[in-house]
Amino acid sequence: MSTISLHDTHHDDHGHGHHHETFLTKYVFSQDHKMIAKQFLITGIVMAVIAMALSILFRLQLAWPDKSFPLLESFLGKWAEGGRIKPDFYLALVTIHGTIMVFFVLTAGLSGTFSNLLIPLQLGARDMASPFLNMLSYWFFFIACVVMMGSFFTQTGPASGGWTVYPPLSAVPKAMPGSGIGMTLWLISMVLFVASSLMGGINYVSTVLNMRTKGMDLWKMPLTIWAFFLTAILGILSFPVLVAGVVLLVFDRSFGTSFYLSDMVFGTEIMPNEGGSPILWQHLFWFLGHPEVYIVIMPALGISSEIISVNSRKPIFGYHAMVYSLMGITILSFIVWGHHMFVTGMNPLLGGVFMITTLIIAVPSAVKTFNYLATLWRGNIRFTPAMLFAIGLVSFFISGGLTGIFLGNASLDINLHDTYFVVAHFHLVMGSAAIFGMLAGVYHWFPKMFGRMMNAKLAYLHFWVTFICAYLVFFPLHFLGLDGVPRRYYAFTEFEFMNKWLTVNVFVTWSAIIAALAQIAFLFNFFYSIFRGKKAPQNPWEANTLEWTTPVEHIHGNWPGEIPTVYRWPYDYSKPGAAEDFIPQTVPFSQTMNSNLPHDFEGNEEAERIQLEWEKTNKPAQN
Amino acid sequence: MVSTIQQENASINFKPKKFVVWLFVVSSTIMFGGWTSYYLVFAASKGKGHGLVLPQVFTYSTIVLLASSVALFLAARALKREERGIQQFFLWVTLALGVTFGVLQFQGWSSMISTGAVMVNNNAAISLIYVVSGFHLLHILAGLCLVISSLIGSYREVPQDVAVYRQDITSIFWHFIDILWIYLYVFLLLNS
Ligand code: HEM
Ligand SMILES: [Cu+2]
Repeated sequence: MSTISLHDTHHDDHGHGHHHETFLTKYVFSQDHKMIAKQFLITGIVMAVIAMALSILFRLQLAWPDKSFPLLESFLGKWAEGGRIKPDFYLALVTIHGTIMVFFVLTAGLSGTFSNLLIPLQLGARDMASPFLNMLSYWFFFIACVVMMGSFFTQTGPASGGWTVYPPLSAVPKAMPGSGIGMTLWLISMVLFVASSLMGGINYVSTVLNMRTKGMDLWKMPLTIWAFFLTAILGILSFPVLVAGVVLLVFDRSFGTSFYLSDMVFGTEIMPNEGGSPILWQHLFWFLGHPEVYIVIMPALGISSEIISVNSRKPIFGYHAMVYSLMGITILSFIVWGHHMFVTGMNPLLGGVFMITTLIIAVPSAVKTFNYLATLWRGNIRFTPAMLFAIGLVSFFISGGLTGIFLGNASLDINLHDTYFVVAHFHLVMGSAAIFGMLAGVYHWFPKMFGRMMNAKLAYLHFWVTFICAYLVFFPLHFLGLDGVPRRYYAFTEFEFMNKWLTVNVFVTWSAIIAALAQIAFLFNFFYSIFRGKKAPQNPWEANTLEWTTPVEHIHGNWPGEIPTVYRWPYDYSKPGAAEDFIPQTVPFSQTMNSNLPHDFEGNEEAERIQLEWEKTNKPAQN
Repeated sequence: MVSTIQQENASINFKPKKFVVWLFVVSSTIMFGGWTSYYLVFAASKGKGHGLVLPQVFTYSTIVLLASSVALFLAARALKREERGIQQFFLWVTLALGVTFGVLQFQGWSSMISTGAVMVNNNAAISLIYVVSGFHLLHILAGLCLVISSLIGSYREVPQDVAVYRQDITSIFWHFIDILWIYLYVFLLLNS
């Protein structure tokens, strides 16, 4: 019987008859969500390593602006003539570092990996709504990465106007070297990337809404799924606006329209473009850009909710509050984009409105933080590597979120805007917190992805060095910002008042180098364990969610035989009376009469009656 | 027995895929929403809109597009009654009207150009008319491909449930681009 139904699943997921998997269909053009998840993860890791290497390059420049590194010239050629990074190249480095990290690593690498892996596995679906679109989504992402990297091999270098590509630097091809072909490639890459995200996001939403297994109502979904689901909605609602903005930018660049341009003089030449406004780009960009930062953090928050609950052996504190805060963040993040534009000369009244909405969005963020802490409180904590990274996320989310509240006040932001204070803010809350969430996810679900365990000792080394160094790198930057040091400046030696920060920059750069070296521990551990790690048991972390009921060896369709039915929420950890400290979602209440609570039955009177009768006969009154 | 299970599952699988089309519709709407908001903010800050009398042709193209939606509706109804011949006829009508719409849009642009309202213009509001109508036409192109896929399905006599599924997707998308054009047209009329 089970072979027959196994056979079925092969059929109905694909609609074609036979299933001879070749290397190409299994590893390259795979339509299996688990394989696509791995493709996203490995591509994301490769991109992260590249972006990290870029950051070390510009950190070298910041720490030792006058020193020559002949080695750089042998690697970078004319970008580092005489062993010193050129100003144009410095700007390109910051721009591409930001773009890769925000979009390719923390959007595609994070959502792409874990939404793909976990949505079908935790909801009990055989695959995504449209496996084909899912495959396309990966390949568009891959091509986007290739195009973006390709811009390093052009004569004039990659885009260099910052990851937010403000016009006119992005709209006038001759504005600076990077505004030429590099900027064109940036735009092509970004269009491909948005197409990829949309295909992915649409698939995730449709799968969550339509393909849950029996018994898995929305309020029985793990918080990971809630987070991925709302993230996908956020993407569907905001990325198209970026496309709209990018299209107009392309018209300005290539066809001579004036959507964003006006009143420009090059040397003695007066540009023909008239009547546009670069501020309009900022509106369109930040309408996506702000939701984007939550697209980055929400999956990381979802992942930590799950990991913290599992490893505290406690139900997540305030499950409903967690979901409602995610919803609140989703909605509010559409009406706060103006806080990136306080100094564009906006009407102070409008600025006030954006200030209020911005401060309100701190409330659901704080609710989530308190719930994490309350879950940890008196938990029976297991410090697995994933748990450490999840706790690290909470720490960074707090220290980075607090400075968000400073920046959200227009009157403070006028001083702090475009200084290192902003850099410190978003590197803690996004660069560190979201990356830690991602790493937590990798350590936690590695056994599910590859059927093997990662080495815990190396993981602890990785955690402690990264955690400490991340603070050493980003915390001092606040003080530079408060002193008014602007971001994206090439050399601190050029300005009297910035000279005193040079020693701090040296310190920060050394910390960054050590942090980068620590990643080798991770990379080695990751790739080595794929092939040589200890074989993973069925349920290594003793978790409740459905993915741990699938066989360790992956099969197409996820479950042999029927998909399991779900009876309870995912957070029945350490339930009083239960035989073990976890009760998987697939265990019906009839098997746990000892531990059932009245509210488990959600008002089902029949079930309550049965429970009461059972208690009368089986539980002698205590004392 | 195996085959009945298979078919059951196959038809269940249509629902999420149809939902995918709806979500695409949503994101596409938002893209156009982005452009029209650009227009509103631009017009408010500059105190001027496109300031044109839109060519008469756009009214005709609107009527043609509406008619094509009616034809597509009739095609879908015929299919539900399992009258494939009538379905095919109305699909051809839809196709013809869709192509006519495209031709009329080109005429609209050329009459705008002849009055001097060209795309490369110092009034971004005028440039935007070309952008939105151009991107709308790209959607029409995609819609025509869907109509053709329904037609092919109908001629190949695919099973009823598959045919209905294809027709449904075509209908969702086609009616959407119809409404989208009406929105854009009315928007441009009201915000001159
Ligand atoms: C407590 C909630 C938060 C508040 C009130 C807040 C507020 C702000 C404000 C006002 C700015 C603009 C600063 C300026 O440019 O002058 C800003 C920048 C930024 N925030 Fe936040 N933020 C919050 C949370 C987050 C989160 C969770 C993330 C990402 C995961 C994030 C990522 C960023 C980024 C990337 C920038 C800089 C963009 C740039 O100019 O390059 N923020 N934040
Ligand atoms: Cu923001």
